[in-house]
Amino acid sequence: MGKVKKNIFNALVYLILALFFVISFFPVFFTFMSSFKSNLEVLTTGNTLIPKHFVLENYTKAWQAADFSTYTKNSVFLSFFCVIGAILSSTMCGYAFSRGKFKGKEIIFYFMISSMFVSLGSLTLYPLLMIMKTVHLNKSLWGVIIIRVFGMNVTNLFIARGFITSIPQEIDEAAKIDGCSFFGIYRRIIFPLCKPLVATVAILAFRSAWNDYMLPMVFTMTNTSRMPLVVGIMHLKSSGEAASSWNLMLAGTAISLIPMILIYIGFNRFFISGMTAGAVKG
Amino acid sequence: MKKEQQRKVRRIKSDNMQAFLMILPFLAGFILFSYVPIIYILRYAFTDYNGFGESNFTGLQNFVRVFQRDHDFWQSLANTVILSAGKLLVEIPLALLLAVLLNKKLKGLSFFRVTLFMPAVISAVIIGLVFSLLFASYNGMINGILQNIGLIEKPINWFKTKPKAMLILGIASVWQNYGINMIFFLMALQSIPEELYDCASIDGATGIKRFFKITLPMIAPIFQSILLMAIVGSLKVCDLVLACTNGQPGGTTEVVMTYIYKSFFGKSGRNIEVGYASSMALITAIFLGIVTVIYLKATKRLKDLEV
Repeated sequence: MGKVKKNIFNALVYLILALFFVISFFPVFFTFMSSFKSNLEVLTTGNTLIPKHFVLENYTKAWQAADFSTYTKNSVFLSFFCVIGAILSSTMCGYAFSRGKFKGKEIIFYFMISSMFVSLGSLTLYPLLMIMKTVHLNKSLWGVIIIRVFGMNVTNLFIARGFITSIPQEIDEAAKIDGCSFFGIYRRIIFPLCKPLVATVAILAFRSAWNDYMLPMVFTMTNTSRMPLVVGIMHLKSSGEAASSWNLMLAGTAISLIPMILIYIGFNRFFISGMTAGAVKG
Repeated sequence: MKKEQQRKVRRIKSDNMQAFLMILPFLAGFILFSYVPIIYILRYAFTDYNGFGESNFTGLQNFVRVFQRDHDFWQSLANTVILSAGKLLVEIPLALLLAVLLNKKLKGLSFFRVTLFMPAVISAVIIGLVFSLLFASYNGMINGILQNIGLIEKPINWFKTKPKAMLILGIASVWQNYGINMIFFLMALQSIPEELYDCASIDGATGIKRFFKITLPMIAPIFQSILLMAIVGSLKVCDLVLACTNGQPGGTTEVVMTYIYKSFFGKSGRNIEVGYASSMALITAIFLGIVTVIYLKATKRLKDLEV
């Protein structure tokens, strides 16, 4: 290839990528800009990007009057316990499946992996709600947390088992000779070595808990004071005041987007490696 | 000596027990939250249960109703298939193209890798909501842009007719997923050994020929699982549709997951019909299973042909 031809080709590559950079960011930028517009401006002149006047009250109004402070608290609560639960469940199961020697280990492992094929998405929402109703957790976020943590995430399990298998066996052999029990080795030796794994699992769990909609929605249908952010935004949209509160909805959307995007900017390596781990191994 | 051995055996037994106990709570939860719901659906699919009171066994009545009278259910299933097929036809080649570009040895490409992936971390609900606002009927951003560059004269009412509303759902869905598929493809591309390309360039193969003769066959196995995940994921689309069109106009953009959800919970003016929704869920589950099996069979044959 001639040099000029190659340069033109490279310029074309950058041009296409830059175009998709704009496409990827435009809707997010648009959301942030619109969240500073007055409701009238959102409804009548939605086709200008920069607000005529920056209306900061959208945020204070959303935070106080439209209950987004409660929704944020609920989102933080839900995400916190889902993250802790995911870290414990994936490291414990990953460790036990990697190092444990009990009958039927392989069968149980593949049985749990099979959930990839039996997961029916929104079809099982109602049965899940009914299962939780038997223990009176159908109107609280605890129900969601229990389903998410004990329901097991196959991707996390895969990543965890792979990671722990790659830790040299000699390390726990030495501890075993010193009289450390199976669980003791997990607690004192393996878990502290799992920092990169914990970071990946925590970020994946945060992403799904923070963005989760259907399950928390059906668990908080009759109890708006327990709604997480995403559910709260949709609740506002389907309420009678939808037309008069687009500005609040947009401010709420921005409140929900900001932590996610900041964490993504800070930890994008973990997001990308974690979210793709399932595809390669599965 | 004997005592020593006994202690060792007891020790191993205790270790194995602990390993099992560490898994047990999650195994129990897994059965409870993955398999019990399926049993629940099987049990109510043959009844007239409506969420309250008692349920009566009605045999195959629900299924007769689905197959003979419920035109809307089949429309929602057809919508799901059309939407999935349409958006994957754009999304997969686009993701592959971007991955090939990102796989070049040029400066600053990691910036694009990170930024193009970003939509994948945003909630589907928010994406649906933002796209419904971007394409708002009279004063939306997209109408404004199209008018400014002179492509259209009058603003388009994107959500007035079914084809346009479906188009918006497709665009939003492609936007949501092209980044993650792009990264999947990029990882596949990076696993191809450099030497293969070196040999090819000695043989005089360049550009497009190289892509079809080396790249595609080499990533075929990963391609198969990427496509399977994309197909199954698209068929299960739910949040995005609820947030973007919510089935409007007139329930014509309902997808199968939203349609069944609304029957279970009595939303959008429908009655709560747990029994009937269960039979639709069962039919949909079987449909998803059949699609997966056919896909795996079909792609296996494709791979055999290549060899």
